[in-house]
Amino acid sequence: MKTLLNISWRNIWRHPARSSVLIAAIVAGLWAGVVTVGLVNGLMLQRIDYLIESEVTHAQLHHPEFLAEGYSWLSIPNHDEIKNWLENDDRVKAFSFRTITDGMLQSPVKTSGVRIRGVDIESERRTTTFHENIVEGSYLDDGTSNAVIMGKKLAEDHNMEIGNRVVLTFEDTNNELVSGSFNIVGIFQSASTTYDERNVFVRSDDLISQLSDSPIYHEAGMMLEDEDLASAVVSDLNSSFSGIEAQTWRQLSPELSMLVELGGVMVILITLIIMIALAFGILNTMLMALFERMRELGMLISIGMSRLRVFAMIMTEAVILTITGAAAGMVLAWFTIRQFSTSGVNLEMFAEGAAQLGWDYIIYPVLTPMEFVAILTVVVVITLVASAYPALKGIRINPLEASRNA
Amino acid sequence: MSIIKTENLSKVYNPDTVPVHALNDVNITFEEGEFTAVRGPSGSGKTTLLNMIGGLDKPTEGKVTIDDVDISELKDSKRIDFRLNNIGFVFQHYNLIPVFTARENVSFIMLLQKRDKKEIQERADALLDKVGLAKKKDSRPVQMSGGEQQRVAVARALASEPKFILADEPTANLDTESAMNLLDIMRNMNKEQNVTFIFSTHDQRVIDRARRVITMVDGAIYKDEQQEVSEAQ
Repeated sequence: MKTLLNISWRNIWRHPARSSVLIAAIVAGLWAGVVTVGLVNGLMLQRIDYLIESEVTHAQLHHPEFLAEGYSWLSIPNHDEIKNWLENDDRVKAFSFRTITDGMLQSPVKTSGVRIRGVDIESERRTTTFHENIVEGSYLDDGTSNAVIMGKKLAEDHNMEIGNRVVLTFEDTNNELVSGSFNIVGIFQSASTTYDERNVFVRSDDLISQLSDSPIYHEAGMMLEDEDLASAVVSDLNSSFSGIEAQTWRQLSPELSMLVELGGVMVILITLIIMIALAFGILNTMLMALFERMRELGMLISIGMSRLRVFAMIMTEAVILTITGAAAGMVLAWFTIRQFSTSGVNLEMFAEGAAQLGWDYIIYPVLTPMEFVAILTVVVVITLVASAYPALKGIRINPLEASRNA
Repeated sequence: MSIIKTENLSKVYNPDTVPVHALNDVNITFEEGEFTAVRGPSGSGKTTLLNMIGGLDKPTEGKVTIDDVDISELKDSKRIDFRLNNIGFVFQHYNLIPVFTARENVSFIMLLQKRDKKEIQERADALLDKVGLAKKKDSRPVQMSGGEQQRVAVARALASEPKFILADEPTANLDTESAMNLLDIMRNMNKEQNVTFIFSTHDQRVIDRARRVITMVDGAIYKDEQQEVSEAQ
């Protein structure tokens, strides 16, 4: 074994430049791959966490037809009983009831279709982090009557500033058009400009007073002690109350759920591409080394080296090359991910485009130990597979090659 | 005592397309301690004969017996093992392992034989000393001349203590001085230790030193003669 390692190690350094280039390629490929996987993971998780924490929450409940139809009279029945149930369930960390209607926002500049969201400031603050998106002015708690906060994009489109007034027009529960003048107290900027363009927030009391004679709510968002409890809580709610439909964030936001799956697929794809490149690199180098050494290998078999030892020698060369490169690549990648997991990778130059898509431009890469081990395992397996062909070719060499002229 | 015996040995290459009869019904024996040159024009079958005797190639017909073992019938792995312990090879192009020093090249075959480490070192040094390369034992092939490399190859062939050594055109790439030096070494080994050498060669310098000269033509033995060799040569 020592002899085998000795000869394999020296064979690798027979062409130092070629072996160094291959090791460097493995290091660079693995580093790039692992960091990219970390970034994709981070990007996906950040997007999901952001959407859950600031908008979607772990679970929501509505009138069964509200999400499809959107009429303001499709409100949550028996909301007091539901409130009581949610308050007494240990699994529910926080919840917030919202009054929602679609309407028109009018400014001296133009008119836009918007979704008007009436929120209870206190419970909303406990439930979501949306208030952290305020970039100008304040949330709805500065005491101004008929206060409204709007997205930065919408405010820019309407040339509006803090202190300006807009008119919101919508249908009440009796299908009568009602209008109200609202004072802009804050401007928010979420991760999605589309969202910012289409949503305004008011206090639920202000909205309810114009929408209905009695308190009505169209949506309740719930943050749970653990995301994994969502299915159970939703199931219990649906079985405990009639006339409502509770859904998990995965059901409410299938695109978000798809994002999780897409992230997984992307990680596999990236890994696959890197591994294929790695496999061809190893295959090419080992085949070159083999073809250059046909006479030498023929000599080794002639003088009595078994074909199994020749096979093991070629495989050992490939494994040493890959392990050297892979170890360096993984260590480098681990340090990179560790470094950027706290400071983040700032992609500010793509900030505008990223915001259009609802992505953050500072990405905190994430790689679980399992993924790390999985990538390392795949590298080792790919190496063995890629070097098996040259090694098998090596053991089929005719010993007469030793006598051939160059 | 006869150590190698061929019986009705024939080799046909490309039997299904354009048959080439490299060996035709060759019957020959080699005695222990011989110093034999196999001569003949290109394509006469001398290298094929050596390959058959060395178990590097299988005959189409007939057999090769070495010390009563029919090596033509051995499985590939057994034949490799047989070569390791019974046959030494010297190639025209030296064929040393370029990443190893002279000493490591000589030791390698003994490592394959799983000999004792101390014995390997001592024997490798002794052999290199015998071929006049004691000072070059830590040199790699690239740091040695062709003649020196071929002397290392002879030391390697001797290292496994084979029954005989097959040398395919061993002096073909050497200048006269190196060739004569190499031949002196091999002759001395033959005389002093009774090592059996069989060469295939075109080289008159080798032929002149051989005690037995076999001439091959068209895959058959044309002439097999003993000759007197002057010690002064």
